[in-house]
Amino acid sequence: MSEDEEVVKVLKAAGLDMLSCMHCGTCTGSCPSGRTTGLNTRRILRDVRKNRPVLENKDLWLCTTCYTCQERCPRGIKITDILLELRRLAVREGLMLPEHRRVSELVLEYGHAVPLDEETRKKREELGLDPVPNTAQHSPEALEQVRTLLRTCRFDELTAEK
Amino acid sequence: MRIGVYVCHCGLNIAGVIDVAALQEMACKLDDVVLAREVQFLCSDSGQEGIIKDIREQKLERVVIAACSPRLHEKTFRGVVEKAGLNPYLMEMVNIREQCSWVHADDPQMATQKAFDLIRMGVAKAKFLRELSASHSEASKNVLIVGGGVAGIEAALNLAETGFPVTMVERESTIGGKMALMNEVFPTNDCSICVLAPKMTEVQNHPNIKLYTYSEVTDISGSVGKFHVKVTKKPRFVLEDRCKGCVDLCSEVCPVEIENPMNYGVGKSRAIYMPIPQSVPQVVLIDPEKCVGCGLCQQACPAEAVDYEQKAEEIEFEAGAVIVSTGYQLFDARRKPELGFGKYPDVITNMQLERMLNSAGPTGGRVLKPSDGEPPKSVAFIQCVGSRDKTVGNEYCSRVCCMAALKNSQMIKERYPDTDVTIHYIDIRAAGEMYEEYYTRTQGMGVDFIRGKVAEIQKAEDGRLSIRYENTLECRTEEDVHDMVVLSTGYEPTKAAEGIGRMLNLARRPDRFFAPAHPKMRPVDAPVSGVFLAGCASGPKEIQVSIAQGGACASKVMQLLGKGELEADPMGAHVDPEKCIGCRTCVEVCKFGKISIEDKKAVVDEVSCYGCGDCSAACPAGAIQMRNFENEQLLAQVREATAHKSQSPFVVAFLCNWCSYACADLTGMSRLRYPTNIRVIRTMCSARVNPEFVLEALKGGADGVLVAGCRMDECHYIYGNYDEKKRLDVLKDVIGEIGLDPKRLRTLWISAAEGERFSNTINEFVKELEEIGPIGTELQEGVQ
Repeated sequence: MSEDEEVVKVLKAAGLDMLSCMHCGTCTGSCPSGRTTGLNTRRILRDVRKNRPVLENKDLWLCTTCYTCQERCPRGIKITDILLELRRLAVREGLMLPEHRRVSELVLEYGHAVPLDEETRKKREELGLDPVPNTAQHSPEALEQVRTLLRTCRFDELTAEK
Repeated sequence: MRIGVYVCHCGLNIAGVIDVAALQEMACKLDDVVLAREVQFLCSDSGQEGIIKDIREQKLERVVIAACSPRLHEKTFRGVVEKAGLNPYLMEMVNIREQCSWVHADDPQMATQKAFDLIRMGVAKAKFLRELSASHSEASKNVLIVGGGVAGIEAALNLAETGFPVTMVERESTIGGKMALMNEVFPTNDCSICVLAPKMTEVQNHPNIKLYTYSEVTDISGSVGKFHVKVTKKPRFVLEDRCKGCVDLCSEVCPVEIENPMNYGVGKSRAIYMPIPQSVPQVVLIDPEKCVGCGLCQQACPAEAVDYEQKAEEIEFEAGAVIVSTGYQLFDARRKPELGFGKYPDVITNMQLERMLNSAGPTGGRVLKPSDGEPPKSVAFIQCVGSRDKTVGNEYCSRVCCMAALKNSQMIKERYPDTDVTIHYIDIRAAGEMYEEYYTRTQGMGVDFIRGKVAEIQKAEDGRLSIRYENTLECRTEEDVHDMVVLSTGYEPTKAAEGIGRMLNLARRPDRFFAPAHPKMRPVDAPVSGVFLAGCASGPKEIQVSIAQGGACASKVMQLLGKGELEADPMGAHVDPEKCIGCRTCVEVCKFGKISIEDKKAVVDEVSCYGCGDCSAACPAGAIQMRNFENEQLLAQVREATAHKSQSPFVVAFLCNWCSYACADLTGMSRLRYPTNIRVIRTMCSARVNPEFVLEALKGGADGVLVAGCRMDECHYIYGNYDEKKRLDVLKDVIGEIGLDPKRLRTLWISAAEGERFSNTINEFVKELEEIGPIGTELQEGVQ
């Protein structure tokens, strides 16, 4: 996305039109995350509409993608999909929280966002299970394949510190 | 044949640009033309008398008038011709003002040439004109009114007072509709039933009104003037002529409790009950589903009115016109599970609140929480439940609920001044006489307004109702606790009216309400002749608008049936049974249902045919023709135009009477300019344009053909332009396959107000055709 390109237009091109929002607040009122955090979905849409900086907004990452807002939106706006698209755009601009970057690194390293830790390993042994389940972590060959896939789609570059 | 041609100067309007003397000279020499004159003002008295004199003395058989638009003076000149003793339909008008002199003032020479072409085309058509006469048929003066709500009542009383017999059919056990159930009504807060009840009684007592309640229309056949109607009267199990309406005697002894459908779930009635105290007729009924047949009511009734053996009754009658006033139904709030209706007893609908506030209703006018029967200390109204909501398929605003909530919040404040009332809204729609003032007054009474739609309702820890929403003006997510929540449920078209819609072939808008013939100019005419729409059948509306529409429908019916006979415009479709192959194509095409097959031949109901010509263009055998727009007449115009091809590129254009021809006239009236290359042929609807006409024009040497109609969804025959567009899309492919450039066929869907767009389109088209080259260029290229 070039700098002068308006987010609202990029969204529209992606089939995510939000111009018909009537600001009834159903999305925000329905949001289970917004109940306890600062996330206000309607305001994010408003910021997009007004072409205010939105990709930098850390609240984007507080959405749990439960889709309640999208399901209830009386104007049929794909709100959750829009938030996900905004996150994609943010990542492309290098805007990412350190925690998420760390998770991405774990995927690159282990093929898992939440790799097996010592504690779980022990628990599995106690239960008489193979300490490492039959996943990418079990097979160095499979892990290499995952890494190749991720590199091919430039996941590593995308999530690298900029 | 003896044809007279008249060229009007229209002062300098025409003569200032076009060489009228040359036109007269050239016209004289045309075959069959025995006389041509140029006249200062043809429409003036002396102009008209001159024509009459000529017809009589010169024994003219056809008259061609080259003057202004036929949309302006066709009627005038038909009258002139008729006065002279000639059939009025043997006159053809040629438009050399709006569509010639006014738009080609910069090129008098070509304007004169074009005017002459148009006259030639007019003369060619005139040779094929036939005598026509309006047909008359007897019409029943009886009017069927389906639905006895306030709109139907108003229509019935207006008609009955004027002397028209009316048959009113009401599904429910009483007339009065939803209005009879309400307490006070906005913006005056007068008692609803107090203003309505006298009218209900009048309907029952009026000698000109036959009332069937608890009855349904099961079939309507026929058409305007002679609808044949079948009605089934359901059994009440109580004899109407015996019941005295005392209700207490029978109801008191009944051991079965039921929910009275008129109370929307508030309170209980007995299985033998009076729907509402002010019911018309004042007759009780038995709920056959719940009645255990114990016989107690029969014993208790002093009038011996209870009859467990009563059967449904079938009634048949004729009607000349139908008024559809079937009303609305309320959105089922259970479809929004997040709001808890049906789960939490103290979440109620606005109609339930209406019933509670009604002093003759199930709670005697008290607002009580269903959970414990106590009055609530705080009440929240939630607006737009089932309105403005795509998730339930209702995108529209129900228009009335804002005012209804304001009214009911005032009522609560008046009766329970200490109760907190909050209205949660998206936008308050208080647009109407005295409505904004009403809104202000509501605020003044202490009712709070919070902007933001309530997202969900849950049970709070103390058992009350917790509502969650974003206060969008403060950008804050909040949770409030109330004793009672009222859902302002939206208006939907009644399921029960779907059958009526099918029987009468009514069109529906995307919001599923019945569509009028024109959303602005014909708000109460259905697109089916002899059928009219009143009240909420055509969309949510307030009582006063419903009453106005009821009155308007009555006046429309009086216009239609006043004489007791119908005059059919002679310009409808007619079938040549010799040619008809009985393929049913026309039956499918006619969305108005005016064509049927009898003895393997198509038969048109000519009295109610709208005259669009869609069937004629679709007929594969050329068996259906349109009077005054016959194939031979239109083809004669096409052939005459292309025979001379006086200009290059040469465009033959077919314009529909209503929008595109009117638009071309407007272009002239606005004195906009466009090139002279176009020769216009008028049809009633674009759908009349048979693909054969287009091909004939191209074959004759036209470089391009333009077919224009109304904008989509604005066709005066509803579906005409859609059908024509489909037809022409296929035709474009055919033209391409022949080897011609499909761009030679152009379509234009335009309103009567887009003069500039019309002139731009002609400009563009002519330019485009210049680039493509004369017709056949592409074929030669292919050969090389």
